This record gives sequence, C-alpha cells and structure tokens, in this order.
Amino acid sequence: MKQFKFLQKTFLLPLLAATFLISCSPEEPEAILEQELITTVELTFTSSSEEDQIVRWSTTSANSESITLKANSEYQVEIAFYDESDPADIEDITEEVIEEADEHQVFYEFSGVTIPFVQGGSDALDEDQNPVFINTVWSTGEIGNGVVSVYLIHEPTTKASTTRDGFGGETDVAVDIPLVVIE
Amino acid sequence: MRLIVLRTIYFFLFIQSIFWLGAQECDLSLKGRVTDLHDGTPIFGALLKIEGTDLFVQTNENGIYSFGNLCPGEKILFLSHPECNPISKKHNLISNTDLNFELEHHINELEEIVISDNQLKGLNGNAKESRLNTDQIILYSSQSLSDALKSLAGVSSLKTGNAIAKPMIHGMYGSRVGIVANGIRLQDQEWGADHAPNIDLNAFQNVQLIKGASALKYGGDIPGGIIVLSPPKLILKDSLFGQTIMNASLNGRGGSLTSKLMKSTSNGYYVNGQLTAKRFGDLSAPDYLLSNTGVKEFNVSFKLGRNKISKGWELNYSRFQNEIGILRAAHIGNIQDLVRALEVDKPLRIEPFTHQINAPKQQGIHQNIHVIYFNKFSKDLKWQLDYNYQVNSRKEFDIRRGISDDIPAIDLKLQTHSMLGNIIWRKDFNWTQEWGVNALLQDNFSNPNTGVKRLIPDHVKTQFGSYWVGSYKPSNSFHWDWGLRLDQVNWEVQKYYTVTDWESRGYDEVFSQFEVEQRGTQILVNPQFDFLNFAAQTGISFELGKQFETSLSFILSQRSPNASELFSDGLHHSLATIEFGSLTLEKEVSNKLLLSFSKTSGKLKGVIEPYFSKINNYIFIGPKGLQQTIRGAFPVWQYEATDALLWGVDTTFEYDFSNQLTANVNAAFTYAQDLNNDLPLINIPPFNTTQSFKYRSPKKRYEVEIVNHFVSRQNRFPDLNFNFSSLQENVLIQREVDISSPPNAYQAVDLFFLIHIGDVKESKTSIRFMLNNLTNTRYRDYLNRMRYYADEVGRNFQVQLVYSY
Repeated sequence: MKQFKFLQKTFLLPLLAATFLISCSPEEPEAILEQELITTVELTFTSSSEEDQIVRWSTTSANSESITLKANSEYQVEIAFYDESDPADIEDITEEVIEEADEHQVFYEFSGVTIPFVQGGSDALDEDQNPVFINTVWSTGEIGNGVVSVYLIHEPTTKASTTRDGFGGETDVAVDIPLVVIE
Repeated sequence: MRLIVLRTIYFFLFIQSIFWLGAQECDLSLKGRVTDLHDGTPIFGALLKIEGTDLFVQTNENGIYSFGNLCPGEKILFLSHPECNPISKKHNLISNTDLNFELEHHINELEEIVISDNQLKGLNGNAKESRLNTDQIILYSSQSLSDALKSLAGVSSLKTGNAIAKPMIHGMYGSRVGIVANGIRLQDQEWGADHAPNIDLNAFQNVQLIKGASALKYGGDIPGGIIVLSPPKLILKDSLFGQTIMNASLNGRGGSLTSKLMKSTSNGYYVNGQLTAKRFGDLSAPDYLLSNTGVKEFNVSFKLGRNKISKGWELNYSRFQNEIGILRAAHIGNIQDLVRALEVDKPLRIEPFTHQINAPKQQGIHQNIHVIYFNKFSKDLKWQLDYNYQVNSRKEFDIRRGISDDIPAIDLKLQTHSMLGNIIWRKDFNWTQEWGVNALLQDNFSNPNTGVKRLIPDHVKTQFGSYWVGSYKPSNSFHWDWGLRLDQVNWEVQKYYTVTDWESRGYDEVFSQFEVEQRGTQILVNPQFDFLNFAAQTGISFELGKQFETSLSFILSQRSPNASELFSDGLHHSLATIEFGSLTLEKEVSNKLLLSFSKTSGKLKGVIEPYFSKINNYIFIGPKGLQQTIRGAFPVWQYEATDALLWGVDTTFEYDFSNQLTANVNAAFTYAQDLNNDLPLINIPPFNTTQSFKYRSPKKRYEVEIVNHFVSRQNRFPDLNFNFSSLQENVLIQREVDISSPPNAYQAVDLFFLIHIGDVKESKTSIRFMLNNLTNTRYRDYLNRMRYYADEVGRNFQVQLVYSY
C-alpha cells in the first residue's frame, strides 16, 4: 500500500498535472484566401460588322452560354482570366499571365467546326517573341456546331506547337464552351 | 588465479575422462548459444557452471559454449555475466543437447523492450530474419529505413519516387504500422502515402520487426506490425568508441557520411552523439535522368544518462531534417496532363543533371526530446517514467502560378507530448508482467499562409491508454504471452468546409451541432469525436523436437480513423485526384492470427509464417465520381470503410553449404480482398522473392554476396480506370485513363563485395563495393506512385568505407 502511495506521488500525479497543463483550448483558425485560383474565363469577340460578344465560363455559374459566330468571318478574340472567389475583391489574373509570359501559353482546340487562329496584333509576347495567344484572330469557315476547348498552360515544355498535347506542361485552365457558326 | 582454475578444470576433465573410460556413459555434450534477450546479439564471456560440480565454461565471441563428456542425469546450469542477471536452469541430460539462453543486459534496461516476437523470435536467436543487425544497418546507411526493412520477408516499401519510402508490412502501411524509436512511438504525419518516416536509421544499432503488433505497450491500433529501433548498447565501464561510415554513389553523384561517438564511465554515466549528412543529385533510370530527384538530409542526435543498475536516468535529443525532390514530370495540372504522361515511355520533362532540388519537393524537420527515469524497488520490481516531446514540421512545395514556388502549398506542424509510466514485475525469469499508463496530447497546426485550402485541419488529439502485458516462460521450450490495452481517443477539430461540400455530403443535417459560423462561401465547423479502442493479444510458442519450433498468436486491434481519413480535403498533384475524408467513419477492428513454423538448427534453417486477418470497417480511399473544375473534370476519391480479408505467407530459408557458402531465400505472398465490394484491395504487394548467395573467405577477410530480387506482376487489383473525353484531330473522343494496370514482373540483381582491412577478428576498417541493379534493368514497381511517369533507378555503383575506433 505504501508502495502504491509512492507510485501515486512519483508518476501518476505529475502525469495528470502535465496533461492538464498542456491541454488548453485551441485558437480559432484563420480562413484561407486561396491564391492562384482562377474562377472565370472571359472571351471577347470583336468583328467589324457586329457588336462585341462576351462569353464567360465560371465555376460559380451554370455555364449555359455559348459562342455564336458568323461563317467566313474574322474575329479578334481577347481572353481574360479572373479570380472572383471574393465578389468584393475581383482579381484580374490576365495581368499575371502576361507578366509571366515565359511560363504561360493560351491555346484553343476546336471540335465539330474548323477555325484556324493566329496571333492578334496586340498579343503578348514572351522573351523569345512567341505569342502567348492572349489576343488572337479567328477565321471561321462553314456553318456548324461544335465546341471550343480553351486552355491556359503553365510551364509548357515547348512554346511552339499546334496541339494542346504538343505543348506539354501543366493545365491551369481547360474549359469547353459550345460554339455555333451560323450563316 | 585463472591458471589455477583452468588447471582445476583440466584436472576434473581428466578425472572425468577416467570415469568415462570406466563407465562408457559419460559421453554426452551440452552446448548452445547465449544471446541478448533484446536483440539476439551474442553475449561474450558469460560463465556457465554446472552446479554441484566444478565444471564451467565461458562463451566465446559468438556467444557459443560447449560442455563435453557429461554423464546423463539431471543437471542444474548456472549462467552468469557481469552485466546480466544470473539465471539457473534445470535440465535432464539424456542425449547430446543444444540449450540456448537469452540474457538481459543490465545496461539495456534503459531501452527496455519487453516484447517477445512470438512469430519469429526463436529460442536461439533464429529470429535474425525478423531483425536487421548492425551490419545490415551499415549496408543501408545511405538509404532509408524502408529500404533496409525491405530485405526482410513480408516487408515491402510503398514509394513515391526513390527517396520517399514507407515500410509496408503484410500489405499495410501508414497508421497501421507503428515505428518505435528509443522506446517511444514516432509521431509524424504518418497517414500519407507520400510521407516517409522522419527517422535516421544510422542512429540505431538494431531494428526489430514485430509482425503481430504484439507490442501493446506502444499502442493497440497497429494491425500491420511494429518496427522497433534500438540505440547502441552502452557498457558499464570506462570506454570511448565510435564509428564513421562514408558512402559514395555514382548514380545521383552523391553520398552520405555518418559518425557516432559513445563514451561511458564505470560509475554509470554515458554520453552519446551522432550525426548524419546525405546529399544526392538527380538519379538516373537506365535510359534517362530522373529530373528533380535529389535529396538532402542532415540529422543529429545526442544522449546523456546515468545508469546505476538500481536506478538511472537519460536525456535524449534528436533532430532530423531532410529535403526531397519529387520527379518534375509527375507534377500535373489535370487529367489530360496525366493521360499525356501515361501515353509516353519516358518522362515529359528531362533536364540536365543537377544537385539542386526545386519544386515540387518536400521538407521535413523532426525534433524529439525524451527524458527517462527508472528505479528498482526490489530485485523483481521496477518502474519507469518516460516523457517525450516531438515536433514535426512538414512542408510540401508545388509548382505554383502567380506566387512564388518558395511558399509551401502544405505547411503542417504537429506537436506531440506523451507520457508513459510503467511497472515491471519479474519472477525468476519465468514470469514477467508489466502494467503501464500512457497519455498523449497532439496538436496539429496548418499554416494558413500557404494560400491553399488546408489538406489537414487544425486539431487536437488526446489519448489516454493503459496496458497490461505479461509472459510466462518456464523453459526454453515453451513460451506464453498475453496483453490487454484500452485507449480513449478524443479529437477536437476546427475546419473550414466550402458550404457546397458541407451540404452535398449531408453534414449540415447529421453534424449540424458542429457548425460554428458561415463565412462567405466557407463554413467553420468544430467536429468532436471520441473513440474507445480495445486491444488484446495472446500467443504461445513451443519446441517440436530438437530442431523445430512452432508458434501461434492472436491479435485483436482497434484503430480509430486518422486525421487524413476523417478530414483530408484537397487536390493531389501527382495523380490529379481530389481527396476527401469522411466524418462518418468508425473505428477499424482487426482480428489477426499468426502462425509460424521454424527449423532452428542444422544446415537448413528457416521459417514459414502464414497469417490471416479479417478487418471490419477497413478504411480505404476509393473513387467517387468526377468533379468539374476550371481545369476540367477531376476524379474525386473519398475515404470509406469496408470489410477486408488479408492473408498471406512469409518465408525465409537459409542453407549452409559449408562454413564459407550460404544461400538464402525469402519470399512473401499477400492476398487482400474487399469483401463488401468483392474486389481486390489496391496497393497490395505482389508475390516477391529474394535469393542470395554469400561467400566468406576462410579467414573471413572477404565476403561476396549476390542477391537476386524478383517481383511478380500484381494480377489482383481493382479496376479504377475511368473515361475521359478529349480532342484528337478536331474530334472529341473517349479515352480510357488507365491508372489501375500494374507494371510487369521484374528482376534485378545486386552484387556486394566486402573487404576487412587489418586484423580480421576485431576489424576496425572495412570497404564495401556495391553494385545495385547490375544489369541496368528497366522496370517499374507497382508500389511506387511514380510508376506512371518514370522507370525505377538504374544501375548504381557505391563504395562504402566503415571505420570504427
């Protein structure tokens, strides 16, 4: 019995005491503002004969919008990326993309319709004068229904390719937007 | 004096031989081996005396003793050693007998491991298959714990690249495998498949593997098994010794240096210091460079203590720090990137060789402070108190856009306080009982400055446990042990969910009591969980005749889900999967039966160990549909529970052709099935076997060993492939993303050549040449997460210099 008391004194009590000392209620964690986030892709189509057409794809909306273009026409296409996760503080990511032109590449792929595109007059260029395709000129052909896949590629393995796979790298944006070419 | 004694022996032997000539019966021999109870190392200089006679012998450096020309009849053997408790043993000698002993070093009581590895620990140290000795630790000095353990049957390595490796026992890893260093469970972020244990193998002298988790002292929640690392033994006399090991590797153009120094005094004080530094650049596969696979590591440890046999104390500090590069090509943005990586033979990014480590990479720092005090009330009773504080900080760096790659994407700090108090009662070396209490407080802090959603939330985990273990070993031919443990685990968590995730999982209804506050699109919740876990274990082992031995043990363990299984929430960049924990998980209950049959002596020695385990509520991560993001559709994986059956066989055989040539075969087979879904479990080691031949020159100056590894293809795997539509030649096509198919079987050969320089008997210096993957075989391993992106490491030539002083 004496031994038990001794035991109690020597380690049970310190054990309990230590446990109480170190258990205090944790502080409330801060909410994290996610960086590097892109929530919205915005395409602006400009042609000499029509009003500007703006099509948006956003993680916060239903994304029912589609692009309507006229056959055998030329369009200036301007792409913009935004972080709209905080409606009170909308960030324009496009500037970052242009600043880090060496690390980025915008690219489009089409299915169902054939629309070749080239760099636009005001396109951003990287150090080696490669177009980033922020600003492009699309030339529509025959009428049809299709989809355009819009890519933002981070650290592509090459800056000169004609397919998405050819660029390599990591995909930051890959969204599909329905596209109609009308008469 | 000694001479007189020896003369007396000779005289008695002479007298005996006269009797023998007359009686013709006194021709029996009694021999055997005396080893350390803890690690099976031979004990030199133990004195064995046959009571009632003047016959005595001493063990040689291999721990072997031998009496000859004994008459039949009952003998009482008295065994003593200056550093050990004396023991006596009655034996009725009727034929030539092998009798082995295990002694407990007094000095060893500091790192006392009163666990008996039923399955493997033979009566005569046959258990060497289940442990790594000093020489094997030296062999793997520049590698990881997991690489070293892989040489044991039944242990595999779950890898992410080459440097991130975690041990897998019987198909289980992570929270199902415990790592105990210096008598304390390692507390790091062990849940992750890509988190290697933060431990330096070089700081330890002995590594023991207990497959049955019978070590309830360290926890009742480890159905896979437990890895026990013990520090170097210290001798209770004035001494100073040390060892330095240097390694240089061609592949990776790097090397490691480890050095330790131990000093002890006759009044019981001892000091021990150790450091390790490692540096490797990019490794090479047979055909290409594996860009960004470099490693940096720097570890120190320090120990100070005093052992006065009846009481003693020790203070321990260790710091482990590493930085590991992750194959650059394995960092992908979405499924399309993954598909592209899967469709090519070699990594999509190969850059010139560098020692530099860039993102993606991991950085870990693990610090450990450990204080021990023990006291002996009496010859039979001892108590010990351990306090331990561990801080684990873990940072993971990704390729980032818009912000610097130098800001980690994961930044976790895990602090653990643990107290362990126990009382050990021992009677005549036959009965041992131990009772202990364990309290643990763990705090995880997830730094919000990452700018990335917390993968693991802030939480506090408290655990109170109590255990009772015991063993009864009336003779060398029978052993029984048992144990019980009860743990109360409490989780207190603070986590943000996105409101859509919280609601889509139905948590807003089931767990509305946890809701604290909604902030914009996020909701702060405060989940609290309690688990009561019970564990029990019992086992017996006995001899079947002279050469055979068998054992049987049963283990019930209960494990509460870990932080990752409950709360994980985020994107995994190496497989483009979104991983979610589940708040509805319950504790995992495992029933495991282990058998072992061994042949313990003769030219052929070996062990066959079948095991069966049924796990209810087995927690695993499985696919749960797709989630649309701005980067396209991502597969969502969520933790869930099922009932699982795991069984398998591990075997090890050794054949001595002669004193010079030894052959060794290891093999392991594991079967694992998800019973509820009737599917094989993922990431289960395929059948694997290792064969080796070792030749030692007659004077043991040279040693040559050739090792062949064969790993079959895992044909039992769940099909988790999914379809993905992508554009090809302007047409949208469906492509199957094959993330399930295991790689083909492979074979790789290693060659080792060891030379002792100087006096062979007390070799101070040795050089070892190692050639790994001799044939430069191109292969991929099912248990390596990088198998989707690149081949395994190609041929490596390594030189190792060991110098002891």
